Amino acid sequence: MRCRAAVAALWMLTVPALGQHQHHHMAPPVSDSLQWRMPPMDMSMPMMPGLEDALPPTQPLLPSMTTPPQARPGEVIPLADGDTLHLTAGPVTRTINGQSLTMYGYNGQYPGPMLEVQQGSTVIVQFHNHLEEPTTVHWHGLRLDSRFDGIAGISQAPVAQGEAFTYELYFPDDGLYWYHPHLREDMQQDLGLYGNIRVHPGGEPEAAPVHLEQLLILDDVLLDKHGLIPWGEEVPTHALMGRFGNVMLTNGVTDFAIDVRPGTAVRFFITNVANARSFNVTFGNLPVKVIASDISRFERQAFAESVPIAPAERYIVDVLFPETGTVAITNSIQAIDHFRGEFYPHVDTLAFVHVQGAEAVPDHRAAFGQARENATVTNDIDAYRSHFDRPPDKELELSVRVQQLPLAIMLSMEIDTLYVPPVEWNDAMPMMNWLSTGAQVTWVLRELSSGLENMDIQWSFTQGDVVKVRLFNNPRSFHPMHHPVHFHGQRFLVLEIDGVRSSNLVWKDTATVPVGSTVDFLVDMSNPGSWMAHCHISEHLQSGMMLGFTVEAQNQPR
Amino acid sequence: MITLLPFLLGGLMMPPTPGVCVWTPEYYQIALLPTRRVPEARQAEGAAHVSFVESPFGIAVTRAGHYRYKLELRVSGLREIEGHSYVAWLATPDLKDYQRLGPMPANNVLSTEVYWNKFIVFITLETAAAPEDASWQGPVVMRGMSRSGLMHTMAGHGPYQQEPCTVYGYY
Repeated sequence: MRCRAAVAALWMLTVPALGQHQHHHMAPPVSDSLQWRMPPMDMSMPMMPGLEDALPPTQPLLPSMTTPPQARPGEVIPLADGDTLHLTAGPVTRTINGQSLTMYGYNGQYPGPMLEVQQGSTVIVQFHNHLEEPTTVHWHGLRLDSRFDGIAGISQAPVAQGEAFTYELYFPDDGLYWYHPHLREDMQQDLGLYGNIRVHPGGEPEAAPVHLEQLLILDDVLLDKHGLIPWGEEVPTHALMGRFGNVMLTNGVTDFAIDVRPGTAVRFFITNVANARSFNVTFGNLPVKVIASDISRFERQAFAESVPIAPAERYIVDVLFPETGTVAITNSIQAIDHFRGEFYPHVDTLAFVHVQGAEAVPDHRAAFGQARENATVTNDIDAYRSHFDRPPDKELELSVRVQQLPLAIMLSMEIDTLYVPPVEWNDAMPMMNWLSTGAQVTWVLRELSSGLENMDIQWSFTQGDVVKVRLFNNPRSFHPMHHPVHFHGQRFLVLEIDGVRSSNLVWKDTATVPVGSTVDFLVDMSNPGSWMAHCHISEHLQSGMMLGFTVEAQNQPR
Repeated sequence: MITLLPFLLGGLMMPPTPGVCVWTPEYYQIALLPTRRVPEARQAEGAAHVSFVESPFGIAVTRAGHYRYKLELRVSGLREIEGHSYVAWLATPDLKDYQRLGPMPANNVLSTEVYWNKFIVFITLETAAAPEDASWQGPVVMRGMSRSGLMHTMAGHGPYQQEPCTVYGYY
């Protein structure tokens, strides 16, 4: 024992950083009152001087410590036109990495039930709130009636504990959508409130036949050995970079796997529901055929090495597993260690595909090798091409302001900003990030023509307007970061990034604006109502990065 | 020396323009500066423009997560020298890996792709007899570094001023 202690002391002397962490709040709670615990971090990184006892300036918050029912895996619920779904948000008990955790779930499930509907149908959702806090449900990507968009204060009042709300969902577009809270989603969504909607096309199938269709809902949660790291009660923590988890969840579990036969073509429906993490999804060394994204198929199917996907984005891709063996589905990134000033390769295993048994029939190998053109998508987009080259109608600058952050953090950020990557794939400064709250950090959408910011921006359009919005992510702001920008209730094309025109378009509702980049969205203002646009990093949204807009109806039949 | 490094490197980059929105990816643009080693190239100037390779996903990355950049070198002021050509190169900062991009064309615009995390871009003056499959033989006449090259250890800087950077392998 003495020898082990001596070795530990020697190690701490050799790597001085380790000795600096002795004051960190990493102990379990010693009383019934909830206390902050510092998130897990690389202990070889030295403690930032002056922050030894620092805590986020907000109270810690976790779901009630009672033991709710054990959650069960998500169901698939087919819904016909006119059907009614009862959906309840409530606390559940989840077991993750062997730890029993109080979390949230829709209908007691993880993920929430996957709704299977037909394009053009209408479904009623009777929603009940059994949480201990108000909530709403946002139906992400649907061009539905704005009264049912789930935005507290814009489309509805918050649904208080014990209350109910009736949503009427309309599905004008085929593809993959999802639903989640739009009130403190930094906590509620992170605790497990999310589910998918699969809208089957009313016309031609979305792509060539495959043997298997598989959902992949990607998430991460932030845990230490004592359980979930608390969220901020009054304001979110992790306001600088968003709350990155350290445990990856695929379809709500850490060990997701499927079994297929050699030659199986699988269509993966991928949704990123994480608060902040962008994934770079790989399927071993296998090529990926990209079929569709948020609201439509691509003009042309395309082969890629991986699927980079930001929070709230969806991609539908085909992968063919040719040989017996096991293929790891991974998040493969070049992470950054800002303290050391280095990139390093980092891989998270998200799932496994076990390939075994007899050859899959029928043989889809030849079909997989062909990349189709989608004439219907191209024809649809043709009506908008006359708008491609005109000047932008709206120009936004994306930046950040901070106030009353500890001096050590300010100094560190100044050095850190010598180089800011286009996308932050990992939480490179976990302590600094954790200590920053929505009270100190304001993420800003600033309209260049008026100087107005965030919800002071209230754009007005008429149904049928086609609006070019230019977004510039200012790299000279204090701590720039990429932003996956989401427009509610509408669809848009990403026309250009840094002046490079996209030659293979797809209708989107969320797209990343990298640091330093200028990105042109062409927004089809087709859906009347009151809406918002915002960054879909939950903590950035909670720190102000949103604007409002209305679309006046033109009395067109939907 | 290491304390001054970020500021020396920062001086190599394009200066920021406060209060002005720049509608180009200027932040990642690489200034190509003459080395003054060759009189005919002392007045040269140029830049390597950085943008993403077109991708269905907007941003472009490799399977391993490296950014896939299109790099466009645009230079001027390289005066012709008979029997010689100006050849462009890419290399990692430690020079362990390098790639010959080829002679600068007559219009002095050269495009390529790069997917290294940190890299340097440089132009050398090569004789006509220099083999194409070897590394550079002649003097470096212009050079620049990717923005990511500015990122280095915080040990010894700012709030970590007292942190001994040698412990972390830096000298």
